[in-house]
Amino acid sequence: MSTSTDIDTGYADEADQVSIWDRIGRPVAPFAWPLVLGGAVILAAGCFLSWSYTSDVLGNLSIDFYPGAIQNLMIIAAILAVLFALMYRGPLSRLGEWLASATALRTLGLGSTVFMALVIALIGLQSGGLINVMPGAWVSLVGAVLLLVGAAGLTPRASRDPLHAHLPAWLDILTIVVLLATVLFGAAYVLDIEDGTVFSLVVLFTGLVAYTLTRAGFFTWVGIVAQTHRRVLMLGAVAVAFLFPFTQDGSDANMSIATQVLIFASTALGLNIVVGLAGLLDLGYIAFLGAGAYIGAMFSHSAFATIGWKPNFLVVVVIGALVSATLGLIIGSPTLRVSGDYLAIVTLAFGEIFRLAMGNLDGQDGPKLTNGPNGIPAIPDLEIGGFSFGETHEVLGITLGRFANYYFLLLLLAAFIITVFTRLNDSRIGRGWIAIREDEKAAEAMGVNTFGLKLFAFAGGAFLAGMAGTIKAHHDVSVTPDQYIFLESAFLLAAVVLGGMGTVAGVLIGATILKLMPEKLRFVADYRLLIFGLLLVLMMRFRPEGIVASKRRQLEFHEEDEELADRVEEVHLVEEQEAKA
Amino acid sequence: MTDLLQQLVNGLTLGSLYALIAVGYTVVYGIVQLINFAHGEVFMIGAFGALATWTVLFQGTTALWVLPVMILGAVVASVTTAVIMERIAYRPLRGAPRLAPLITAIGISVALQEAVRLFYPGAKSKIPFPRIDVVTGPALSFGGVTVQRAAVFTVGALLMSAALLWWFVNHTRTGHGMQAVSEDKDTARLMGVNVDRIIVIAFALGAFLAAIAGVAQGLLNANVDFRMGFLAGLKAFTAAVLGGIGNIQGAVVGGLVLGVAEALAVGFIPGQFGGSAWKDVWAFVLLIVVLVFRPQGILGARVVDRA
Repeated sequence: MSTSTDIDTGYADEADQVSIWDRIGRPVAPFAWPLVLGGAVILAAGCFLSWSYTSDVLGNLSIDFYPGAIQNLMIIAAILAVLFALMYRGPLSRLGEWLASATALRTLGLGSTVFMALVIALIGLQSGGLINVMPGAWVSLVGAVLLLVGAAGLTPRASRDPLHAHLPAWLDILTIVVLLATVLFGAAYVLDIEDGTVFSLVVLFTGLVAYTLTRAGFFTWVGIVAQTHRRVLMLGAVAVAFLFPFTQDGSDANMSIATQVLIFASTALGLNIVVGLAGLLDLGYIAFLGAGAYIGAMFSHSAFATIGWKPNFLVVVVIGALVSATLGLIIGSPTLRVSGDYLAIVTLAFGEIFRLAMGNLDGQDGPKLTNGPNGIPAIPDLEIGGFSFGETHEVLGITLGRFANYYFLLLLLAAFIITVFTRLNDSRIGRGWIAIREDEKAAEAMGVNTFGLKLFAFAGGAFLAGMAGTIKAHHDVSVTPDQYIFLESAFLLAAVVLGGMGTVAGVLIGATILKLMPEKLRFVADYRLLIFGLLLVLMMRFRPEGIVASKRRQLEFHEEDEELADRVEEVHLVEEQEAKA
Repeated sequence: MTDLLQQLVNGLTLGSLYALIAVGYTVVYGIVQLINFAHGEVFMIGAFGALATWTVLFQGTTALWVLPVMILGAVVASVTTAVIMERIAYRPLRGAPRLAPLITAIGISVALQEAVRLFYPGAKSKIPFPRIDVVTGPALSFGGVTVQRAAVFTVGALLMSAALLWWFVNHTRTGHGMQAVSEDKDTARLMGVNVDRIIVIAFALGAFLAAIAGVAQGLLNANVDFRMGFLAGLKAFTAAVLGGIGNIQGAVVGGLVLGVAEALAVGFIPGQFGGSAWKDVWAFVLLIVVLVFRPQGILGARVVDRA
C-alpha cells in the first residue's frame, strides 16, 4: 500500500514540475503567439524611448530615438524573439522543425524580464531613486513580461535531430564565418566598454543569448558543422585571433589583457592534457610555468640574471621546456605507485617545494640562482632576428604596441599547443589516456602502457608550460616566487573545469572568463577569488563537465543517463560513416 | 644534549597541533574516502571563532575562565562550517567521479579563506590573538630547555582530546556506528545505521578537534591569519598519511613524528639546506616519500586507497 502511494507522489511531483510554465501559459494559450510578437515589438519600441532622466547612468540612455548600448541589446533580444516566433508559426516554420523555438522563447522571455528588472533597479540605484526611470524602460519591461507570458502559452515541440540536417556546404561555412566575425567584433566592442556595470550587463546579455540559442538546439548544430568543416573553422579562428590587434589601434590596455589571457590559456591547455585527457589531477602545475619563467629570466640579458651564458632566445625556449619537462618526469614518477587523491597531494607538495626552493636559492640558504624573494627583475624585451618586441610598429597605418608584438608570439605558441593537444587527443596516445582515465586496471589489462603514458602526460604538459614560461618572463619583465603560489595552480584548474575538461574551446573560454572578469570589473577584483571558489563548487555540483562539454566526459559524470549514452553512440556511428565515405 | 631536548620539545608542540588537525582528515577519510581539503580552513575558522568570541564578549579580559568560553566559540564556528560544508557541497557528490569532490574541496578552501579575509573586520593582515593568564606569559624553563606555556596547553589539549575520542569511538553507540560504516557502508546501512548521520558526525568530530587546534595555534603564535589553514592543513594531511590514513591512533602518532622530524630538520641538517627556511620543504619531501614508498603509513591504513 505504502509503496503504491510513494510511486503516485513521485509522478505527481514530476507533473508539478512541468506545470510551472503551463500554469501561467494555459489561460493565454489561444493567443500566445500574437502575445509573443506583440511583446517583442513593445520591448523594441520601449528601447527607442529614453530610459533614464539623467545621462550619466549606464552609458547614456536618456535620449529619445537614439538607443544607447543597453537599449541596443534589448532590441537584439526583440529581433531574436520575433525570429523564433516566426519559426514557431509563420514563414520560418520550416526552420522551426529543427530548432526548439518555444523553449528558446521561454528562456529569452524570462531572461529579458530579469534583465529589464535589473536595468531598472540599477538606474534607480545609480541615479538616486526609481523616479529617474523614464517611461521607455517601463514600456520595455512590460514588453518583456508579455513576451514571457506569451512564451509560456506556446507548446514546446520535439525538434528534429540536427545530425540529419544536410545543408549545402556553403551555408555551413557561411555560418562559421558569421559566428567568428561576431566573436571578433563582439570582443573588440566588449573590451572597449569602460563602465564596469555596462560591461557586466553586456556579458550577462551575451550569456543569455548563448543560453537561448543552446536551448533552441542551435549550438548542437553548430557543433556538428564545426566537426564537418574542421579545417575552415581552424583557419577562420586563426584569422580572427590574428586580426584582433588590428581592431585595437595601438591601445595597450586591452592588448595587455589579451596577452595575459593567452599565457593563461596556453598554460591551462597544457594542464588540460594532464587533467582533461589523462585524468590525473595536478595541483602543482604552476611550477612548470614557473620553471620556464625562471629559466627565461636566468638566461636573459637582465643585470640581475644569475647565469653568465646568454644564448639565443630560441635556445632558451628549448632549455626552459626541457627543464620543465624534466621536472614533469620527476613529479610524474610517483604515478607508478600512487593514484587518485594521493597523486593530487603529491603534485601539490611538489608545487610548494618549487615555490619555497625558488624563494630560498638566494646565495644565503642555497646556491645563488633566483635572488630569493626579490626574484629577477628588469628582464629586457625580446629581440628575435632584429625584431625588437619593445618597440611599436606601424602596419597598414595601424599602430601595434609592445603587447601586440608579444600577442603575435603568444598566438604562435597557443596555436602550437592547440595543434599538439588535438593531435595527441586523436592519436593512439590520446586513446590510451582516455582508457586510463576511465578505468586504469582495464586499460592495463588491454595492453596499454599505463605508466609510460601517464609519465608522458606529465612531461608533455610540463614541456608546453615551460615554453609559455620563457615568454612570460620577458612579457612580465620580472619573475618572483610569489607569482607561482598554489592559488595560481587552483586558478588554472578552475579554467579547465569551468570551460570543460578535455576540450580546447572550453578551456579557451574558461581562461578568457577567469582573466577578463577581474580586469574589467574593478568591483569584482577584490572578490574574484571568493567568486571563483564558489564557482568551482557550483560547477562540480550542477555541471561537472564544464561549459563546453566533451560528450564522452559528460557521460562519465552522468553514468545513469541512458539518453546521453545513446546520443554519444549515435554521434560516433555517424562520424564513422563519414570517415568511411 | 640540551639542544636535542629543546628541538624535541618544539617538535612535540608542533606535532600535537598537527595531530589535532590530522584526526579530522583521518576520521572523514575513514568513513567517506574523501580528502576534505578544506579541513585546514575549518581549523582557521576555529581560531577566528575564538577570537570573535573574545572580541565581542570579553574584550580586554585576560582571566583564565575566559578560555573555555573561547574554545566553545571556536567549536561552534568550526562545527557549523564543517556541517554546512558536508551538507551542501559534499553530500550531493557522493558517487560522483573522484575528481569532483576534490575540486569542490579546493573551491571551498579558497572561498572560505576569502570570505574570512573580506568579511572579518581587519583580517586582511594578521590579527593579534588575546593573551590569557596561565596559558600564555613567560616561558617555563627546565634545566636550559624552555617550554612555552601555550605548548603545555597544546600537548594537554591533544592528550585530553585523544582520550575523549578513544572513549567516544570505542564505548558509545555512535562510535560503534562509525566503526561499522568505515568497515562497510552498505552493510552498516542494512544493519540500521543511519549512514548520513554518521558522516555528519565524522565531519563534526574533526571540526571539534580542529577548533581546539585553532585556539592552541592562536595562543602559540599570538596572532591569527586567514592563510594559516593552508599550510597547517597540508602538514596535518601529511601527518594523517604518515600515521596511516583512516587510523585515528595513526593520526596522533603521525602528527607527533612529523612535528619532531621537522624540528630536527631545522636543528640538525647541516649546511645551506638546513635551517628554518627549508623546514617546510623537508616536511613536503617526507610527505612525498611516505606517499610513494609507504602509502599505508606507519601504523597501517584502515582504508586502502581505492583509486
